[in-house]
Order: sequence, then C-alpha cells, then structure tokens
Amino acid sequence: MQIRNGQDFATGLFFIAIGLGAYWIAADYPMGTAMRPDTGVLPKALAWLLVGTGLILAGKSLFIDGPRLTGWAWRPAIMITIAAVAFALLVDRLGLVLTMLVSMTLAALGTPETRWREYGLFAIFMVALGVAVFIYGLGMPIRVLPQGLSWR
Amino acid sequence: MALDGLFANLALGLSVAATMQNLLWCLAGAVIGTAVGVLPGVGPVATMALLLPVTYVLPADGALIMLAGIYYGAQYGGSTTAILVNLPGESSSVVTTLDGYQMARQGRAGPALAIAAIGSFFAGCVATVVIAAAAPPLTRLAQQFAPADYFSLMVLGLVFSIVLARGSIIKAFGMVFLGMLLGLVGTDVNTGNLRFTFGISDLFDGLGFVPLAMGIFGIAEIIANLTNPERRDLVSSKVENLWPSREDFRRSRGPILRGTVLGGLLGLLPGGGAVLGSFSAYTLEKKISKTPEKFGTGMIEGVAGPEAANNAAAQTSFIPMLTLGIPSNAVMAMMIGGMMIHGIIPGPQVMEQRPGLFWGMIVSMWFGNLMLIILNLPMIGLWVRLLLVPYRLLAIAVLFFCCIGVYSLNNSANEVLFIGAFGLLGYLLMKLDCEPAPLLLGFLLGPMMEVYMRRAMLLSRGDPWVFVQRPLSLTFLVLAGILVLLVVLPFIRKSRETAFQE
Amino acid sequence: MRRREFLAMAGATAVTGFSIPRVSAQVANWPERPVKLIIPYAPGGGSDLIGRPWAEALSQAFGQQFVVENRGGAGGMIGTEAVAKAQPDGYTLLATPGATLTVLPHLRKAPYDASKFVPCGRTGDFVTGFSINAQVGPKTFAEMVDYAKKNPGKLSYGSAGLATATHLRLEMLKYRAGIDILHVPYRGSADALNDLLPNNVQMMNEINNIPHVKAGKLHLLNINNSTRHWDFPDIPTLTELGHPDSDVPIWYSIQGPPGLPQEIAEKLNAKMLELSKTEGIQKSLRGVSAALQPMTTKEMVAFFDADSKNNAALIKAASIKLE
Repeated sequence: MQIRNGQDFATGLFFIAIGLGAYWIAADYPMGTAMRPDTGVLPKALAWLLVGTGLILAGKSLFIDGPRLTGWAWRPAIMITIAAVAFALLVDRLGLVLTMLVSMTLAALGTPETRWREYGLFAIFMVALGVAVFIYGLGMPIRVLPQGLSWR
Repeated sequence: MALDGLFANLALGLSVAATMQNLLWCLAGAVIGTAVGVLPGVGPVATMALLLPVTYVLPADGALIMLAGIYYGAQYGGSTTAILVNLPGESSSVVTTLDGYQMARQGRAGPALAIAAIGSFFAGCVATVVIAAAAPPLTRLAQQFAPADYFSLMVLGLVFSIVLARGSIIKAFGMVFLGMLLGLVGTDVNTGNLRFTFGISDLFDGLGFVPLAMGIFGIAEIIANLTNPERRDLVSSKVENLWPSREDFRRSRGPILRGTVLGGLLGLLPGGGAVLGSFSAYTLEKKISKTPEKFGTGMIEGVAGPEAANNAAAQTSFIPMLTLGIPSNAVMAMMIGGMMIHGIIPGPQVMEQRPGLFWGMIVSMWFGNLMLIILNLPMIGLWVRLLLVPYRLLAIAVLFFCCIGVYSLNNSANEVLFIGAFGLLGYLLMKLDCEPAPLLLGFLLGPMMEVYMRRAMLLSRGDPWVFVQRPLSLTFLVLAGILVLLVVLPFIRKSRETAFQE
Repeated sequence: MRRREFLAMAGATAVTGFSIPRVSAQVANWPERPVKLIIPYAPGGGSDLIGRPWAEALSQAFGQQFVVENRGGAGGMIGTEAVAKAQPDGYTLLATPGATLTVLPHLRKAPYDASKFVPCGRTGDFVTGFSINAQVGPKTFAEMVDYAKKNPGKLSYGSAGLATATHLRLEMLKYRAGIDILHVPYRGSADALNDLLPNNVQMMNEINNIPHVKAGKLHLLNINNSTRHWDFPDIPTLTELGHPDSDVPIWYSIQGPPGLPQEIAEKLNAKMLELSKTEGIQKSLRGVSAALQPMTTKEMVAFFDADSKNNAALIKAASIKLE
C-alpha cells in the first residue's frame, strides 16, 4: 500500500484528528432527547462527520494520484505568529509605540529579504501613523508609552 | 403606498438630507468610513465600534446620517482590502476575495475595484429606492419567517458554501464541518452549557468572526507570500489598466442586476440574511455561467454579483432596523445603540413621529453612495499603487493593522492572540489545499442553524414535522436537496471514472 | 540586595508605575486626571445607554474627562474582571448592570469577588414590564394570568438569554402567579423581538417592546418597577397588582475596584446624587426608558446584598443553570 496523494492523505489525517479530539472533549456533553436535542448533539455529529470525511479523503489518497505535501515556510510562519502574539501580550503593558516596534521587528525577522535601513525608516513611519490614527484620530484606549512614563 | 405620498416623503427627506450640515456629516461619515475601513484588518464592524462614540456628540439626524455613512463607507473600504490583500473585513466580503484577489494577482486589481464600486453604487441606488417605496410591506414579508424557516434557509446557505468551492468537494464538506465546529465554541444559548472553551473566559462568548477571518485569510496569506516570491510577484507585475474594458462591463451587467435583487431580498432577513446575499449571488453566477470551472481564478462576474448583492443587502438591512427596531447584523445593532443614545427607540413610530429623521436618513444614503463613487473611482489608482510597496514592508503593515483592528473590537488583547493561532491554521489549510471560504460560512451559519433548529423544536413543543409543514421551510429544504444532488452526482460519477482508469 | 533582585524590583516599579505611596494627597485631589469608566459590554448596548450620559455629566461636573471604554466578553465578566484587577486609585471604575455582580456569580465561577467592589452610585434602572402580542387576546395582567391558567404551556416567552434579568423576571412571574409559560432564550432582546412581533413567541419584558406597545401591536400588562412608567400612567406596577418584591430590577451602577478609598467613593456619590436632581441626566435616561434611583453608598451596600440574595434564591428555585 502506498500513499499516492500526500496532500489529501494529510488532510484526511487532520480531519480525523480534529474529529476525534472534538469527540473526546464533547463526550460528556448532554445529548437530550430526540424531541429536545441538547448541547452535545451537534458537536458529536460534526465530530463523526469530520472523521468520516477524513477517512474518505485518506482512503481515496491511497488509490488516486495527487500532489505531495511540500514546501513548508517555517521561518515566516513562526515569526509572524510570534509577532502577533507579542503584540497581544505587550500592548496593554508597554503601550503602542514599544509594542509596535517589538512586534514589527519580529515580523521583519520572518523574511531574509528585510533591508534593515529601509525597515528602520518604515518602522518610524508606521509608529507615527499608528499613534496618529489610532490614538489621536480614533481615540483608542491604548497607552502610547509604558505606564509611569505617561498615563495614556 | 400611494406614489405621491412617496414623493412627498422623499421631498421631506431631501429637505433634511440636503442641508449643508447634514451633507457634511454624510460626507464625513462616508470618507472616514472608507478611510478606516480600507485599513487592512479593520472592517465595518471594527470601524463602527471605533467610531460610534464619535457620533454621540452630534444632533440626532446628523448622527444617524453620519453613522449610515460610516457603515457603507466602511463596506466600500472593506471590499478594497478584500480585493487587494485578500482580507475580508466582514462576512459578506468573504466571497469577494475568491475572485477579486485572484484578479488582483493577475494585475487586474483596477477593473476589480472599479466593478466592485460601480456594482455597489448601482445596488445602493436601487435599494435606497426600494427602502423608500416599500419598507413596510417588505417588513411584513420578512416577518413571515418563523424559526423553522430560518433553519431551512441556513441549511440552504450551507449547501451554497459547498457549491462555491473550487477544488475538492470532499474537502469543502470537511471545511464546512470544521467551520461549524469552530462556531460552536462558547456558551450554548439554549442551555448555558459551555462547549470547547477549555475554561478560558475569553471563549465564553464564542470565537469572533473578525479574528478568525483575519487569521485564516490575512495572516496565512502573508506567511505564504513571504516565502514565495513568484506568488506575489504576480500582484505587482502589471497594473497598468485601471479601468474595466468594454468586455468587463458587458460581463458584469447581468451579475450586478441579479446580485442586487438577491442581496436586496435576503438583506431583509435578520440573522445571516446579509451574509447569505453575497454567497448566493456567487453561487447563482457560478451555476448559470458557461464556464463554472473558471470561478475562483479571477472571473469578474464573481466580483460584480456578490459586491452588488452585499451592498444591496447592507442597505435593505436598514429596513427591519428602521421599521421594527430589529438589527439584522452586528453593525445594525450598533446603529440601534447610536439611535437610542439620542433618545430614539427604534420602532414603527420613528417613521410617524420623526418623519424628517427617517426620510432624511434614507435620502442621505443615496447622497452617500454618490459621494462614495465619486471619491472612490479616482482613488483606485492610488490603491493599486499601494501594491507596489515592497511586500516585505506591506506584510508588516498588514499584520499590524490586523492586530490593532482585532484589538479595537473589544479593547481586548487576548483576541489578538487568536489571530496568531488562526494564522497558523490558515497556513496549514493552505498547504493542504483546503479553501477557507466554506469554513467561514460554516462558522457563521452552523451555530445559527442549531439555534433556530432547537428554537423551532421548542416552539413546536417537540414536533419535528414543523420543518416540512411550513411551505417556506419546505421550499428551502427541497432547494437544498436539489443543489446537493447537482453538486454531488457529477462528482461521484467523475471519481468513479478516475478510479476505474487506474 | 543582589544585583538581579535589584533589577527585578526596578523593573516591577517601572511597570506598576510610581504610585505606591502618596495615597492621601491623591485621594483629596481626586480626580486630577481623566477617569476610565469601563463598560463590560460591546458599544451600543444597554449599558452604553445609561453609562454614556453619565460619563458626559460627570466629565462636566468634575472638569475631568470620564472616558468610557467598552470591554465586552463572557457575559460581562471580562470587563468586570479587568476593573477588579485595576489599581484602586479611582481612575478605573466600572459602569455595569447588576447582572455581572449579583446574578452571574451565582451561576458561574466568576474571576472576581463581586462583594468586594466598592459601590459609588446608582446610575438608573430600565423601566418596562411584561408585554403580550395583541393577537393573543389578553389585554391586562389579570386576563393574561387567567389565559395562562386556562391554557397551560401555551404561552411562550422570549428572553434576552439564559439567566438574564428578563429571564429571572419570567421565573418570578411563574412562581408568584402560579402559571406555566414556556421560556425561550434568545441571543439578545432584538433577536427575541423578531419572534415576538409575528407572534412566534407571545410575551417579552424588554425596553425594545415599548415602541410596539405604542403602535398597538403589543399590550403592556404591568410595570416591573417601584413606580409607574411616565408614558403609561394607566399601567399598574407589579406591587400594585398584588405581587410585591417581584420586580427583579434591571439596575445599573458605578462601582470601584476592591480597595478603592471610601473617600473617593463618597466624593463621587455626592456628585452623582447632586446630578440626579438635574433635568439633563433625567431627560437622557427617560429617553431610553430608564429612571433614576439615587442612593447613598450605604444604601447601595444593603440594596446590593438584598438583590444578590433574591437572585440566588430565584435561581435556585427555578433551577437555572449555567456551566
């Protein structure tokens, strides 16, 4: 037996994994009665449907040729995610300016193409734009600088 | 309503809307709405959340005119980012990304934007007249819908989402199921039970559409583009022709007309109606097209129809809000808040007690649409030129706008965490060649379908026949069944053939 | 002190600000800078309708901005939690309905201790009552009770959601009047109104019903408030109908985080009592069908306890559950 369509096979496994996981979590959700379906009905039904879909896909991938799964872009995937997470964790503590600088720099590390001098100018422009538009223009309740340095 | 009565009303509305002050508020709303809405990551909902308090200080009619302006302005702006950077700012522009972004990647961002603007303008004008002429009878029509009918309509909508998939049908089914599962996260409305929340209180109200869409569409696209120069070089390769060709116009005429009608009708329905408008317009165009397989690769029909539908729906969604005080989407709910802060409780008496306000607002919608198209058509060149910004910088800007747009919805940093997670999920799905659009529709409609189903059962005191006894409900279910057969049958036949060929 | 500890301390001071001592001077001069008023729901909701006019009035009265910040999520628990964890310096306050403090903690493990909040002033109560679709027949409270007794289980009632104040109002009615009405939870009052008008459900108890009462589509049966509604002087209150202590008020207030100096609470309360007498705030609230119930901080503590106890008993009697 040989996997002929790596992409579909992986998708099938992905669906099966999510389906089983969802079923496991939903296992103790109440089902209610046929007349009054309760919390658990749809989650469990969807979990099975996902598993079924996954099985069909994985099964099919054993017989029909298709593309393989290739070309993962680890660097941008990781750095962009970290950049978003950094924004979330820092914005309430450090204020908009520092958060933007940290988050955008992390994102810039995500691609080898970044030219640091150009990025520096761009970062200054973006910080100015961000503060002008969101803090002064739209009055969002985010502080500009860390607490202790300014109240906003 | 008698025709002369209509004209009298419109004249009254004109006298209110055409004052210098109100024209200014209308312009201000439209401009600010577009300007904020065009920021990637900041769609109409976020824009309204940000700007609603600004209108609290204005007089009532000015405030409402400006709010309406912000809304359709943001919608125009939202379509722009959907086309240029694949970021749907709200549910109804999800379909615009399907062909609009593909057009942009082929250097046809200009025509896509122009057709979107023209389609929206046409639909907006028609819908404004419809509101003025037939708001009360249309309201009564929408009131024929009982929970059972909504349930069946949602089923039909989910079938639409599978039809609009481009690639594998099995994967589309999987994505709808996955989307529905994500939609179930949060508190079960009927019982108060928590589902899939892992004890995290930020999940009690469910996942937000905006973080999900930003992550799955926007962030995933950034990740993919950053490593793959070929993918994005398409975007900036050739952008010389900004204006649609005569051929483009010819192809768009029908979709715009059909989209206007479909969107206008579905926009009347509270709860998901406006979303269904653009999806069904797309499905319709794909079904009647001679080359359905080309949809999703940059067909102008796939931009024209849904954009007209979504603007028509946006306008007609004002009808239940104005006549009954019932919001059909999150934005209308905020409009109601904006009205009430001025001491106006939306409902049937607004039209009678404050006719100037009511008709003034309606007429202002037409002015606003006119201003928008005058403003936006010359802007297209500028927007398209934005694509010439080196992607290494554009990506960072888009990421930042996504983060702050999501933050602004609830002033909550935790929701920004979700876009990081959804970005990874979106990237994974992209690698697996799974389309995100069916997932989003499942996410939107799945939970609603469940709620309506259980509500219908509760109200029928547990009698499931209610779904087939009501003519409306039965019609939708039959339509859904036929569509499923139309989609699945050729697929089964085809895969059998390929299997036998092995 | 070792170097690392020193750095950690320095860092901590930088993060928390330099606000630890100097309390008394700050209290006396409060407010010296803008005050953040957190509303634990999305913009445009009921809390906004009551909170925003107050923010404006207080800004004028104190000559310092009271800035409203909407922080929705988890039925109000997220914004409330944010205030619970804020510095009790008087510059972060909560403008909330009773629900987050006297209802939710009885149903769910709340990430804050509701009894520790420092009451500063009541901002108003929504005034409305049970209404019934005109197609059903009954026009008065007595007729409705009669109808429900003759047709048990036939009436359905739409609430804004499980365990919302309007749900509790129904449970109270069922209990006090001894009738059976089916409860149908919706996602918010607008959603429910959409099913009330075509008579898919027959009854509701929300302010968004009032325009439709005026238009004749619905009959208002009673008022769940200590006084009648100014627009409907003929509609009796529940107490007048022989059901005292059954109102389940929908009340709003400004609360300070645990540890807020009492001086600040009193200063704010005094100003709020003063403002309550002015026409400006009264008019804004009447516009959204809300009425003022001014109270001193002491009265508020007693009221809070009583409301919390009543809700707990009602939730238990009706066996309402949230996970």
